[in-house]
Parts: sequence; structure tokens; C-alpha cells
Amino acid sequence: MAILYLALGTIFGFALSRSGAADYDYVQGMFLFERFQLYGILATGVLFTAPGLWLIKRRGRTIGGAPIHIELKSMNRGTVVGSLLFGVGWSLTGMCPGPILVNIGEGKVYAIAALAGALAGAALFGTSYERLQNLFGLPPLRKPLKVASGL
Amino acid sequence: MPLILHGHAPIHWALAGAVIAAVTLTLLLIANRRLGVSTGLEDICSAVLDGPYFTRSAVTSGRPWRIPFLGGLVLGGFLSAVLGGGWSPTWALGMLDRAAGLGHAGKIAWMFCGGLFVGFGTRLANGCTSGHGIFGNSNLEIPSIVASCCFMAGGIVTTQVIYRIVLG
Repeated sequence: MAILYLALGTIFGFALSRSGAADYDYVQGMFLFERFQLYGILATGVLFTAPGLWLIKRRGRTIGGAPIHIELKSMNRGTVVGSLLFGVGWSLTGMCPGPILVNIGEGKVYAIAALAGALAGAALFGTSYERLQNLFGLPPLRKPLKVASGL
Repeated sequence: MPLILHGHAPIHWALAGAVIAAVTLTLLLIANRRLGVSTGLEDICSAVLDGPYFTRSAVTSGRPWRIPFLGGLVLGGFLSAVLGGGWSPTWALGMLDRAAGLGHAGKIAWMFCGGLFVGFGTRLANGCTSGHGIFGNSNLEIPSIVASCCFMAGGIVTTQVIYRIVLG
């Protein structure tokens, strides 16, 4: 199965690379209201995904026959504050998390620094989770899985 | 406007949207997983860090699909460069080069700082453009609609301040 997920990521990455979604200038053009391109990508991404999602949920099963299970995200103060902070970072780097990796693949050297920063930011958040929990109303962490589930 | 990558004209936005939707739906239909890239940041962190946040089930249970998928993102960018004029390391940064003219060290510092916001912000928000922006919005999830409004607002204000005021 790993090869299939690698292929899905490759197709996704190629599309991000060639559409402007991983392009610093197109990201700034979106936030300056000068380029429609990335609004078009996000909008059509959602418009095409939504009916497909509805059909898959209606069918209720994966290709292998397992019941469809969609893990929902919680809503808390972190949703708002975290997304605002992420928006600042998206503007500064011109990259959201997927395009950081795409840009590294393209050979943009500075994207490695963006990845290092993103990893440091995630590490900072993860290691201070208990201290941030009350402040942002974050959900409690469940016990880690002892056995990794195979797919 | 050409892409920074070899000056290519971008593909049509609706084609890119269709590819994103196809990948998102295939992932759900095959792996029973919601698309989400930023949880991969913890996955990478968990190679050197443990503690409850890095070993929670949302991270560990997604590994069989997420790690190869993240590798695919790098590979997709690589192939895009190779097939579109050749791969070579570059520091080209478009508008920022014209507006600020940062050297290599300046770009590293700029990108690292921006990356901190991306990493901390997406983890605090529990999602990014993929998990909230594409999947959550398509599934009409309220937290994702709120998150998307907030990250667009954060980006718009920051870019407007940088390019219309500070470097304007």
C-alpha cells in the first residue's frame, strides 16, 4: 500500500508545483487580491471534494469494505488563534505545510529553512501542550496506541 | 504570471482543484483517512521527541499512509522540476527578491521565522490548508470553516502589511 500513498502524494505534489499553490508569488498575489488562481484552486478543490465525500459517506464503506470513519476536529480557542498564526506563517514563507515539501523537492533551498522552522514550531507546541491546554481549551490527550495498526 | 519554477505558465486552477479532490477522495476510499498534511510535522518530530503529544493515536495510526504521502510531495516537486526544464538548487524568491533583496542568510532567517508560525499555528489549530481548508470545508465542519476564515485573514493582513506598507 505504501507505494500507492507515495503515488498519491506525488500526483498531489506535482499539481501543487505546477498550479502556483507552491509558488511564493502566487501566494502573495492571492493575499494582495491581485491573483485569482489560488482562490480558484481552493474553491474548486472544495466544490469537487464535497459531492464525492457525500457519495462516499452515503455508500458508507471503503473499497476494502471497512465502514467509513471520519475523525472530526474539535473547536476551541486554538482553532482561531492557531489559524491566525498559521496565516502569518503562510504569508511570510509563501508556503503551507504541503508546499514546503514540494518546494524542497523542486530545489528551492530556502524551503529547508521553512521546514526546520515548522518542525521547531510543532516541537514547541507539542512539548508545551499541557501548559497551553487551559489557555486555549485544548482537548485532553488520549493514551498512546501501544500497537501500531496495520492497514 | 509565470511560476518561479522555470517560468512555467501554471495549469488551470480548476484542473488543480480536480486533482486535489481526486487525491482526497481516493485517500478516504482506500485508506479510510481524512487528508491532512500538518500532522506529518509531529510525525517527523516524533523521531526524536516522545511525550504524550507526539505518541497520540492520531499521529501513530496515520503513519502507514502519511509518511509515504509526504515523501510523494517531495518527489512530486522533484519530478515537476526535472520534467519541466531540469532540477537544480535555487534561491529564487520572486517578489521578495525584488522588494527586499535578502542574501542567503537573510532568506534562511526569514523562512525559519515564517516556518515557526506555520508549525506552531497549524498544530494549535489542529489542521492546515489540507485538513481544514479542503477536507473539513468539503465536509461542512464548523471548526474548519472558522479555521479557514482565520488563516486567510492572517495571511491577507500579513502580506498587505509587508507589501503595501513595510516594503511598499
